[in-house]
Amino acid sequence: MFVYILRRLFQLIPTFIGATMLMFLISQLVPGDFFKAKELEPNVRPETIQRMRAEFGLDKPVYVQYVNWMKNLVTGNLGQSFVSNQPVWQRIARPMRNSMYLAILSIILLWLVSIPAGVYSAVRQYSFGDQAVSVVSYLGLATPNFFLAQVIILALFLTRTLTKDWFGFNQLIFPVAGMTSSNYLSLSPWAQFWDVMWHMFIPSLVVATSGMAGFTRVLRAQMIEYLGSDFIRTARAKGVGHTKVTYKHALRPAIIPFVAGIGNLLPSLVGGAGLVEVVMSWPGITPTFLTALQSQDIYVVLGLLVITTLLLMAGNLISDLLLAAVDPRIRYN
Amino acid sequence: MTDKGDLPNPARDGAESAAAGAPEAAAPLTGPTTAAPQTPLDSAPVDSIEFERGAGPILTQEGKSQGQIVWEQFRRHKAALVGGWILVFMYLSAIFAGFLAPYGINEYRRSPSAAFRPPTQVHWTDPDTGRLTRPFVYDVVEARDPITRQRVYEEVTDVRYPIKFLVHRPSQPYKILGLFKSDLHLFGVDDPARVFLWGTNNLGKDLFSRVLYGGQVSLTIGILAVWVAFFLGLLLGGIAGYYGGLVDDIIMRLVEVFAAIPGLFLLIVLASLLRDPANPLAKAFGLQMTSAQTFLLTVVVLGFVGWGGLARVIRSLILSARELDYAAAAKALGAGESRILWRHLLPSTASYVIVDLTLSIPGFILAETGLSFLGLGPSELDTASWGLLLRDATARGISIQFVPWLLIPGIPILFAVLCWNLLGDGLRDAFDPKKRR
Repeated sequence: MFVYILRRLFQLIPTFIGATMLMFLISQLVPGDFFKAKELEPNVRPETIQRMRAEFGLDKPVYVQYVNWMKNLVTGNLGQSFVSNQPVWQRIARPMRNSMYLAILSIILLWLVSIPAGVYSAVRQYSFGDQAVSVVSYLGLATPNFFLAQVIILALFLTRTLTKDWFGFNQLIFPVAGMTSSNYLSLSPWAQFWDVMWHMFIPSLVVATSGMAGFTRVLRAQMIEYLGSDFIRTARAKGVGHTKVTYKHALRPAIIPFVAGIGNLLPSLVGGAGLVEVVMSWPGITPTFLTALQSQDIYVVLGLLVITTLLLMAGNLISDLLLAAVDPRIRYN
Repeated sequence: MTDKGDLPNPARDGAESAAAGAPEAAAPLTGPTTAAPQTPLDSAPVDSIEFERGAGPILTQEGKSQGQIVWEQFRRHKAALVGGWILVFMYLSAIFAGFLAPYGINEYRRSPSAAFRPPTQVHWTDPDTGRLTRPFVYDVVEARDPITRQRVYEEVTDVRYPIKFLVHRPSQPYKILGLFKSDLHLFGVDDPARVFLWGTNNLGKDLFSRVLYGGQVSLTIGILAVWVAFFLGLLLGGIAGYYGGLVDDIIMRLVEVFAAIPGLFLLIVLASLLRDPANPLAKAFGLQMTSAQTFLLTVVVLGFVGWGGLARVIRSLILSARELDYAAAAKALGAGESRILWRHLLPSTASYVIVDLTLSIPGFILAETGLSFLGLGPSELDTASWGLLLRDATARGISIQFVPWLLIPGIPILFAVLCWNLLGDGLRDAFDPKKRR
């Protein structure tokens, strides 16, 4: 096992180097650089721009820039942001944390909804409930996340109109934008926590729906396969009750791919919320990425790409290891 | 209908068996269509079908081709059929968008502005007599609510403007498929009234017309991007799988590199950097980034990001197919490497590839709408895309509860993706011999 992990880690190195080279190459597609715009400003002297370029090493050839950047990367230095003039790591740490919150809640929601739904539709195959789950899954797969977020925002506003007319309650049930209320700083820590949770619910629900569809369908197929297998028949013949057969004998093997899939959730922890963050003004990684791209803050862009890539690769590795850990049928040598 | 069609045919399940490395696929369907020994398969569990298949070629009496069998199976898949028909309808309406749309893609009136008009009310009954009448609309004037300062629209009920069918509007010509020029529109009303079936956006552009035109972009981009990805995947996956060795290693490393970078971010970076006409590549090719070029750029970027998975699958299919007897037979007969690759190995992956392509179209459609939603898709100049239209709904200073119709473009996205998924699932089941009914 240890040897296997080591070998996998070694295999990751060329992939990672290739990925960074590709990223760096793409970053060279930027027309001009961040300081190009400065050249047009009359109160900035050309020498200053030259000096700043030299400071960031932008005056050197591309491959030298790449090597320098890689050298820093290995020591954990992601470079300096042009725009905010602070280390890239500082610039992206907070958005990454925010995205992570969102992802954790959405994963919890995903599991809470999908496992019962998948088990139900497998046990009651072709029942009305099963078909309802299947229809909802198809719809969930077909709806773009950002559109769903927009629709939910509209629904929240309409609910407010209704509650105002009926109960005189002129408030949104859930906030439609941002991560904290305006009085956040004056709240107690506990209230602060609930405030963030309250803001988080809708975006993480939207993120969860896209996963729910696939998750439920795969779990259903897995469950059906296991429920029809011999060891289940044996268990039933021994007189094991229905609930125990379903949840202990069938669900356990059926859930294995999802347990292993936890590793795959790692990258989605930082990058998964995507456009939902944009629609709901969540101060996460995607909006940061877009802003950095727009302002040609290329080291921030590269930093985010590198971190998410690392997480993606680590996630894949963890999935494989988890799979081996939970599934006794898989052996690595 | 007897159970003839249900018999597993050794030759037709090439891809699935090949993927599993099962040797049955090697048994060629040869000989005359004589009556083969029929076994009561209805009572037999799935496992024994596998066994029967290995026992020797079981031929159907009519000798149906794989295409016929797949089509027969597909026709029984109700959801897939419905999905297919809805798609036909959607693609037709995109082709004939110019005819169906009452207004041009960027047509709007400066004064009086028709900004943020809600869907125009079409009256079917005569307000005086209450009887059914020819559908008509009223002209609408804009006013402000004295308290909330929101825009309100009031109908001017003095003059009725009947909805006219097949009207010529020389100011708004269009071309169907880029070939047939016309200015005939399915319906329209006389000036100064307007008929906005789905309301208007901030500039007063008709959303109904724009959704129709948007289909031209959003529905085709998915298919084109799949072809780009397919071409790259087939080429590189095929080469990697067939030649193996160092070539295989290099190509697969490349696939891994692409898979390692999160797709959304890679898409965003490529799309946003390449669409700038000042970027080195655009300069090298002399691109001006007209809307046609941004459209093609989006296609290429989507395909470029999406080819890896396909290449991996095709490679593994070929790796297993290469070991099969018919590849060895072709080699023994003196066929060259490229002939074996293109004439023998790649066709055997066809059924899998068809299904996989169909099922990847919705993903590309979603990716395109996402990019357009960020303003990184085809440019807004003289195209529309459903994602771009949804962008209007989140523009600064817009409260969606006052302009809910701006969310309408999301519905065709949903339908298109849903129907492609249904179609793909139906095809997959039709190709899968285990799911034959």
